[in-house]
Amino acid sequence: MKIAILYGTETGNAEMLAEDIGDALDADYEVSCTNLSDFPVTDFDPATFYLIVCSTYGDGELPASAQPFAEALAAGPASLAGIHFAIFGLGDSEYEETFNFGSKQLAELLTNHGAAQLGERPTHDASGADLAEDLALPWAKDAVALAESRFGKAA
Amino acid sequence: MTHQIAIVGAGPSGCYLAQALLKARPELDVDLIDALPVPYGLVRYGVAADHQGTKAVARQFARIFERQGARFFGNVHVGRDVTLDELRSAYDAVVFAAGLAGDRRLGIANDDVDGVFGAGAITRALNGHPDAGPLPDLGVRPLIVGNGNVAIDIVRLLGKRADELSGSDLGVEQTRWLAESGITAITVLGRSTASQAKFDPVMVKELGKLTGVAIAIDKAGTADDERGKKLLDALAAIDGHGTGVRAIRFVFSHVPVSVETDAGRVTGLRCRTAEGDDTVIACTSIITAIGFEDTGDLPRADILAQADSDAPVYAAGWFRRGPRGTIPDNRADAQVLAADILADLDGTPAKGVRPVGAIFEGRPDVIDYQGWLRIEQRELAGADADRCRGKICDRAAMIEAARHQEETSP
Repeated sequence: MKIAILYGTETGNAEMLAEDIGDALDADYEVSCTNLSDFPVTDFDPATFYLIVCSTYGDGELPASAQPFAEALAAGPASLAGIHFAIFGLGDSEYEETFNFGSKQLAELLTNHGAAQLGERPTHDASGADLAEDLALPWAKDAVALAESRFGKAA
Repeated sequence: MTHQIAIVGAGPSGCYLAQALLKARPELDVDLIDALPVPYGLVRYGVAADHQGTKAVARQFARIFERQGARFFGNVHVGRDVTLDELRSAYDAVVFAAGLAGDRRLGIANDDVDGVFGAGAITRALNGHPDAGPLPDLGVRPLIVGNGNVAIDIVRLLGKRADELSGSDLGVEQTRWLAESGITAITVLGRSTASQAKFDPVMVKELGKLTGVAIAIDKAGTADDERGKKLLDALAAIDGHGTGVRAIRFVFSHVPVSVETDAGRVTGLRCRTAEGDDTVIACTSIITAIGFEDTGDLPRADILAQADSDAPVYAAGWFRRGPRGTIPDNRADAQVLAADILADLDGTPAKGVRPVGAIFEGRPDVIDYQGWLRIEQRELAGADADRCRGKICDRAAMIEAARHQEETSP
């Protein structure tokens, strides 16, 4: 099973977290780490498990680097049936009304196109006491374990 | 041979640039030089004390020093401690990312009287900047001129009750200043119509969480574009919010004409309305949040001219573009500039002289990254119960903390 980490970022915080996750999984898996701005929607591969990290910007909007991806996906008829992903959100509870809406929008968009989300969508709060990696690294390992059981021996 | 790059200014633009350069070429030598003993510039001294989520971008910047090999030279004032020529002769490229810290003035009669303050100066004082003066007496009815996020930051902090600052890094003196301000009314006034104001809607909406204020929006009017509509929605959402002791009123389409004074004290702001009427809005002080300009600390025009020439001199961020754009805008800008610099360096041999010895030798007050970590350690250890940090606000105390080796061994 290959692992592709995709990130949507505005300030670079999600990119840093994606790289941390990549470093943590690197020894045991074939891992790539790609900005959503550089990822064509046609590139999804059923043999790859996708770990997605996405922030929120402005008034609950997707971060800049995820916007072209989301627009392309929303505009096209692309089916993501057979694609498995897990998603982690970054947000700031100072803006509680739209807290972590970026990752929420992205997850909905992917599932609406037929992709299967594994696990919940944990979120990090930039105004909270936790470090993002302390939440995201265990999440990534759990998600990968879940994906391995799902992908089974065929992968 | 490795190219050596000096970046003057360790704020967000300089840090994003160092990050982009070192990501593309991990072998580069990148030195960030700052006039302050501490890095991160506007993140530490511009972003409001109650926006710790925004300040968290500093964690990325720490990695530039901790993992990407950049070096920090703090408390080095370029132009005084080190000349531009020295930098140019020692480094393969010199980048100026010193920001724009000066408050733009109103440019109207009496705009320089006591009682008229710049939002940047107030923001620095609230953030414990070592060169900021004491926080001034605003009286009970301050008026903020400006329709951008800086104006919102100020009105939000002035409007907050003490319990709403929990978790921030607002200092003891600043906390007392806010608690004892006695403010009863704050006017936020702008030249433009509401729909053309530069506020981010999310910043406007945040005011709707304040528990000690009563907000009123005067004549927001209509919008004919998507952005304007969103902003009017945000303003409508906070109109009428709260019954607190501090009244906040937003006034649009008022062009300031003169500062009214009586016996040397500010009594009001005379404005011309959209209808052409002359009106005076009573206030006890005026805070101008109408943009930033060059402080004159560096010869900016000359540097920008060099940056436009073939010289290995570059400018980044607000210092280059002017005071427009958010922190992430500067990230995008830095990535483009990094590519330009690398393309230029590819065509030139490296000078190959490590400049640190020549330029920074014999300067005991230069603070390196380890020194900053010692300052930070003391700040974190010295935080009050409901504060995330106890900022050291005095330059000499910062230098002392940076030099101090912890006695406890691990």
